[in-house]
Amino acid sequence: MPASILQIEDLTIYYGKALAVDGVSMMVEDGETVAVIGPNGAGKTSLLRAVAGLTPSSGRILFREKAISGLKAYEISRQGISLCPEGRRLFPELTVRQNLDLGAIMRKDHKKVKTDLENALRLFPVLKSRAGQMARSLSGGEQQMLAIGRAMMSDPELLMLDEPSMGLALMVKESISTSIVEITKAGGTILLVEQDAGMAMDISKKIYLLENGRIRLEGTAQEMAGNPHVKEAYLGIA
Amino acid sequence: MNIVTRIWGTLISRPPFYVMAIFLLFMLLVPFLTDDLYLIGVLVLANVYAIFASSWDILSGYSGKENFGHTLFIGAGAYGAAYLNLYLGVPPMLNLLLCGLIGAVFGVLIGIPCLPLVGPYLALATMAAASIAERLTMILSKYTGGEEGLYGLDPITDGPVGDYYLSLILVIITTIILMAIGYSKQGLILRSIKEDETASEAAGINTTRYKLVAFAISAFFAGMGGAFYAHYQMYTGPSSLSIIMAVTIIIVCMIGGMGTIVGPVLAAYMLTVSNEFLRSIGDLRLLVYTGLLVVIVLFLPRGVFTVILERLPRFGQKSRGV
Repeated sequence: MPASILQIEDLTIYYGKALAVDGVSMMVEDGETVAVIGPNGAGKTSLLRAVAGLTPSSGRILFREKAISGLKAYEISRQGISLCPEGRRLFPELTVRQNLDLGAIMRKDHKKVKTDLENALRLFPVLKSRAGQMARSLSGGEQQMLAIGRAMMSDPELLMLDEPSMGLALMVKESISTSIVEITKAGGTILLVEQDAGMAMDISKKIYLLENGRIRLEGTAQEMAGNPHVKEAYLGIA
Repeated sequence: MNIVTRIWGTLISRPPFYVMAIFLLFMLLVPFLTDDLYLIGVLVLANVYAIFASSWDILSGYSGKENFGHTLFIGAGAYGAAYLNLYLGVPPMLNLLLCGLIGAVFGVLIGIPCLPLVGPYLALATMAAASIAERLTMILSKYTGGEEGLYGLDPITDGPVGDYYLSLILVIITTIILMAIGYSKQGLILRSIKEDETASEAAGINTTRYKLVAFAISAFFAGMGGAFYAHYQMYTGPSSLSIIMAVTIIIVCMIGGMGTIVGPVLAAYMLTVSNEFLRSIGDLRLLVYTGLLVVIVLFLPRGVFTVILERLPRFGQKSRGV
């Protein structure tokens, strides 16, 4: 059995009195892409934010078998978990290059940072030609690429992507999907949150379906694609 | 590459650096160009404001944490200098350093409770802190001289030209250090905090620590400036803590261009000197001033000098690719 990199046990999140995530347990193994799908408001983003330390939660979150619940966001990031947040959250008035630099700013292994930068630019060549431009001047797809690139610059063991396809045209979506597959091929482990169930199934090995804060279904991409409920509600196939 | 060519290379490659260098070199020549002691006096005041404005900028201009009570740190330096000099006989030059440190301590003390605050709450809290300090000088008038303030500090140099050069050297030191910080990793991190603090945290940055360091650096130079000002006037009073001065500093930075260091420094000279020349038109001065501010906020929201500096050429370096 491959080693688990992230293990979530009975995770519960409240916003005030509102229950957002209700006792979710899940697992991500080394080198695989795991997707969480589900409708708006199911708690997908909250789940990722809790793992990243941006939202308080109860339950257990284990990263490489060490509890990380309660750590501050920057401590979790330094342990090797990188979140590419929903809506990209770039630094709009800084250049593309500065955005990428900031992803690696706390690292001490400067040589590796250089190769990581080269890798990120190989994955998203458009960023190279935009290096001196302000991040806000990029198109939606380019901004998403920069957000993923920045998240990768911390050389994470686990990369969490929150809705990378949001608001993007079909062509751009496909190019982002291809990049995600390439990251996995290079040995990266990805926890993906995605509303576009079709895209998630194309690129992930394991899928969790989150509804109303609970895991309703889980399985491999093929199992999920064959499930009547998923087919009807998320893939639009009757 | 040796160090001299490297410094030269950096200096000519970026407009903010060479503009600042040319400007400060020119300022070094001013006493040779004029005997007008009144003008020299105005420029000493401009030097002091340049220190206040640039020190405000490194915290608030860079990180977006707008401090409306910068005078608290200035006043801490000014009153600190008065006590140390009057009661302990500490020489003025040493006071510049010691009062910078006093300022920095105040910076950390104010910074810690204010860090979680955002936007208007931070502005109000810092403004309240400075107001409380100003009030306290009245309440504790037995120790602070109340409205009268404290008199009889040792002069810091032996004349107006000496004061001018010392204050200019302080501007040069302050500017070099603050610009070095602004263009360093620390500066980039502060700017990322201004843009999106959550995203900075997610990038592994301990934002609290960097903000606190910025508070301390900002307050250090404000305290040092306050100490100089107290010795220069041989007096310190509650006006060194006034909200009007705190707001003036912010206006200087807004007009010059926040988050650039150069902008606030140049604006400090522009506004202090024009303020003196406009004295002849009396109360209309306020109208001109506020009118100018409105026009700048409307049409050049990023500041006068930001816009000018962006249009100046870079020399000697090919454009920075990846």
